[in-house]
Amino acid sequence: MIHIVTAENRHLFRHALMEMHQQRKTVFVDELKWRLNVESGIEIDSYDSPSAVYLIEAEAPRAPVRASVRLLPTDRPHLMADVFPHLCSGAPPAGAHVWEATRFCPSPDLPKGDVRRGMLSRMIAAVMETALLFGIERVTYVASASLAAVARDAGWITEALGAVHGSGRDALVAMVAEIDAAGLRRVRERNGIGAPVTRFTPGDVARAA
Amino acid sequence: MPWSFAEKCEKARSVEDIQAIFSREIRARGFSHWACTSHVDPLNPPNGAVMMFDYPRPWVEHFSAQGYARRDPVFLTARRQALPFQWSDRVFRRGLDAGQAAILNEANEAGIGDGFTIPIHAPDALPASCSLVIGPDGVDPLHVREAHWFAVFAHERARRLLLDLTPPKKPVLSRRERQCLELIAQGKDDFAVSVILGISEHTAHNTVRRAMQKYGVATRVQAFVRALSDGEIKLEDVAS
Repeated sequence: MIHIVTAENRHLFRHALMEMHQQRKTVFVDELKWRLNVESGIEIDSYDSPSAVYLIEAEAPRAPVRASVRLLPTDRPHLMADVFPHLCSGAPPAGAHVWEATRFCPSPDLPKGDVRRGMLSRMIAAVMETALLFGIERVTYVASASLAAVARDAGWITEALGAVHGSGRDALVAMVAEIDAAGLRRVRERNGIGAPVTRFTPGDVARAA
Repeated sequence: MPWSFAEKCEKARSVEDIQAIFSREIRARGFSHWACTSHVDPLNPPNGAVMMFDYPRPWVEHFSAQGYARRDPVFLTARRQALPFQWSDRVFRRGLDAGQAAILNEANEAGIGDGFTIPIHAPDALPASCSLVIGPDGVDPLHVREAHWFAVFAHERARRLLLDLTPPKKPVLSRRERQCLELIAQGKDDFAVSVILGISEHTAHNTVRRAMQKYGVATRVQAFVRALSDGEIKLEDVAS
């Protein structure tokens, strides 16, 4: 189950969010050696705020986190505009109906290969379900060349926003994906996903229960 | 940023006041226990040690009786490392030997499960740190950085009260160093500071480093808090 975590229900997911930030530190800083701020002992930056939406796969709110991704509204500060504008040949897509996906992070314990590719397909389906739910029409992201290929194989119709920068493992490309119901159907069919993968637990209902 | 907390700490007239203010704010954010102390025997502290804590009493007694102040892996790591760390972090766990892992297991059984430790280094203070225990309902990760600032503020204020220090008469920081620290305290990173001040990112980074060296401290947060408590930076200039 992939949980949709927003400002409204994040108090139910404090353990999962903390584990997500810890996994991001382990994966991006300790393993991949990205130069990110870990001044608090976890990987958390100024874009992590109540206005970010997180997708977190876990069997239950308190169960171990298997993967996570961060979705940022683009009508406020976000990475494509602040950090990666050079990857886009024109102005990066932005506005009330555009989200940016960043920090896709499989758990460091998740086996590589098919398990990880399956996870990425489920996350893509989850991003599309969530975007449709929130009235989002396009989702931008920055991908390594290999991640871009995996996303395409999963059935996501995407378009490069500019040329590939860098080479080999460091190659980066800015991408945009159109979000519609037909696209979601295609991703589900191609990856054998028979039912919605996301769940939104309202904050107040759970409090009353 | 925790300006109202800093203001309350500045007004506090005793270590007990600071302890009460800190405890209230930290517990409101979901932490169940905390210890902001010099790395000494908690029941027999030497003069000048900062000893503010709210830990389960049986654990404090056990810690003291076993002489853990010299062996606790959290204290040992906090002495070597500048930045805060989480106890469940893999890098921290990998560095433990069997005896040290056993101490953490005992702590876990005593109600000290997962949490964070914020090392506090200064040439004129005993080695110290602040440990914050995550309570049963969890802590929102957005509160972790804030708690880090609270801990450094509280420790610095307690240290000043204990030693009855008066601020130095001559300014230590240059104007540029002060500007950089003020922006850092407003949550800006090196890149943002460089854009605002019209300097290179490299210069911004080195200016902050120089301010840290002048105070002999190991983190930006501590450099800012020192500047604040020395009166070189005024709260009203940064709180907006």
